[in-house]
Amino acid sequence: MARHDRRVGYTLPTVLAVLLHVGVIGLTVFRWPQSDPVETSNAVVQAELISMETATDQAQQATEAQPRAQQGPEREQPEPEATQDDAAEETARQQAEAAEQAAQAAQQAAQRRAEQASEVAAQQQQEQQAREKAEAEQKAEAAAKQKAAAEAKQKADAEAKQKAAAEAKQKADAEAKQKAVAEAKQKADAEAKQKAVAEAKQKADAEAKQKADAEAKQKAVAEAKQKADAEAKKKADAEAKKKADAEAKKKADADAKKKAEAEAAAKKKAAAEAAAKKKAEADRKRAAEAAAAASQNAFGDEITNEAESIANARQAQEASNGFMNLVRRAVEQSWSRPPNAASGLVTVVRVQLLPTGELLSASVSSSSGDPGFDRSAVQAVERAAPFTEMSQLPAEARQKFRSFNLRFNPEDVR
Amino acid sequence: MNDSMSIISLFFHAGLIVQLIMLILLAASVLSWVLIFQRAFALKRDARDLDEFESHFWSGVDLNELYREVPTDNPQGAAHIFRSGFREFNRLLPKSRSHNAVLEGVERSMRVSVSREEERLTTHLAILAIISSSAVYVGLFGTVWGILGTFQALGGAQQVSLGTIAPAIAEALVATAMGLFAAIPANIGYNRLTHKADKLMVRMENFAEEFHAFLHRNLQNRSTGENT
Repeated sequence: MARHDRRVGYTLPTVLAVLLHVGVIGLTVFRWPQSDPVETSNAVVQAELISMETATDQAQQATEAQPRAQQGPEREQPEPEATQDDAAEETARQQAEAAEQAAQAAQQAAQRRAEQASEVAAQQQQEQQAREKAEAEQKAEAAAKQKAAAEAKQKADAEAKQKAAAEAKQKADAEAKQKAVAEAKQKADAEAKQKAVAEAKQKADAEAKQKADAEAKQKAVAEAKQKADAEAKKKADAEAKKKADAEAKKKADADAKKKAEAEAAAKKKAAAEAAAKKKAEADRKRAAEAAAAASQNAFGDEITNEAESIANARQAQEASNGFMNLVRRAVEQSWSRPPNAASGLVTVVRVQLLPTGELLSASVSSSSGDPGFDRSAVQAVERAAPFTEMSQLPAEARQKFRSFNLRFNPEDVR
Repeated sequence: MNDSMSIISLFFHAGLIVQLIMLILLAASVLSWVLIFQRAFALKRDARDLDEFESHFWSGVDLNELYREVPTDNPQGAAHIFRSGFREFNRLLPKSRSHNAVLEGVERSMRVSVSREEERLTTHLAILAIISSSAVYVGLFGTVWGILGTFQALGGAQQVSLGTIAPAIAEALVATAMGLFAAIPANIGYNRLTHKADKLMVRMENFAEEFHAFLHRNLQNRSTGENT
């Protein structure tokens, strides 16, 4: 009998056991060259963004501007700074205030009517948010101004003999000059601008007063109404309007200057008075220029802000793409297609979300023709509804996803 | 199954306690396999030795010669039984008058050696039994612990979706998988090795009985020889 070692050692079993475990772990780690499942495009639900926010914003602006424009005449304190969003409303209010000052100076029923007309016109301007050209408005205004200027010259010639009226006007001019000098130094550019407008109006009012007895009153009213109507109809967007206002003011100043010169020539009064008048005009001109510059700056600010927001939106594009995919997947998962639905149906569901990601509304915007299929799509959106990931998005992207379309197309489903 | 769901990455993502439990289970698995291999080899060798010894024993060899061939220090298996029985027989035969006393002594000696052999054959099989029965529970504990942590974490989460729960649950379930991985081979090995050891024990007991009968016959022949 062979007397070899009878003991069975533990080294060989240990080695075997360790090898076995290493092999098992290796099997789990090693990836067999299995045939990967074919990537099927399961984009059953496609999402497309629709930019709704501009329209809604404009509507909001209009509804906001309307009550403020109505409050405008009662408000005495002008806002020194004009934000770019409220620029249109601001200018409208300034016009209204200018009209109010004119009313205070003249205190005539005609002026009151003119003021009300201009007020109504301002409201209409904001309500309409029209798309007509600013040039048309400028032309119309220019025509109106030229007409006014021609009339003013004729009137000045005719009124040169009327001493009383001239006296009244001189007084008004002197007052305006003192007021302009005093207040232009004290107040901000916006106020100065308003005053300039107001003084222009005051002069117009004074003219109107001079020919108050005659048909001039009705003419002025009609003129103002025409102007207001033209403006109301031809108001472009806020920037164009501002520009137009600035030009209108400049023209008003120019008119006033021409008129004043005509008056000076006709009357040939004291040089001091004329000098004072010129000074006042220079002040007014400066104020108008400053106001125009301010509005230009506001316009520039708006442009830069818009550029910034565009950049931010681009930056948030990736996050928003991720959100869109997420929404799509969630909706896909919760979509139970009606089994008897015919193939080739496509329905588009309009989804509106709150900023928190909750569903505001889901409605079929393009029906597939199968009401059951449409309902299943809407139900899928409702079931997947609280997209709470939206709260993690940046604000710009969130604004973007307030409303979007989901396109349900089960064509790709196997 | 992508990379994020492989066993290794799941192990490294699991919590400390779960990792500890998985390490314990891995060690238990390795140990059980070591014991399975060792016992299987040992039992196979014992069975072969028993076959060799039995064939040698029944080949008509002289028992004294056989006794000299058997190693004196720590023999194993049937040789151990034969040696202890034959030594006791040789020691008692000259001293005792009664054959029954001799046979009793031989039987007792062989019973002791048989029980020693049984103890030797079933060495470490208890460890396999322990691993097979407790590894499942240890793994289950790891899973429960991992799921506990998962739900604690979910309590603070704003929104719960399948995507947030699934990885944590998978990590926890790896512990159960490892417990089963350790327990199943240990259980199978334990049952099979116990069966093998029992078979060997039966054969050894049979050999002991046969040897006892052989000695009894030998004594009877001697006494009849003396009597006649």
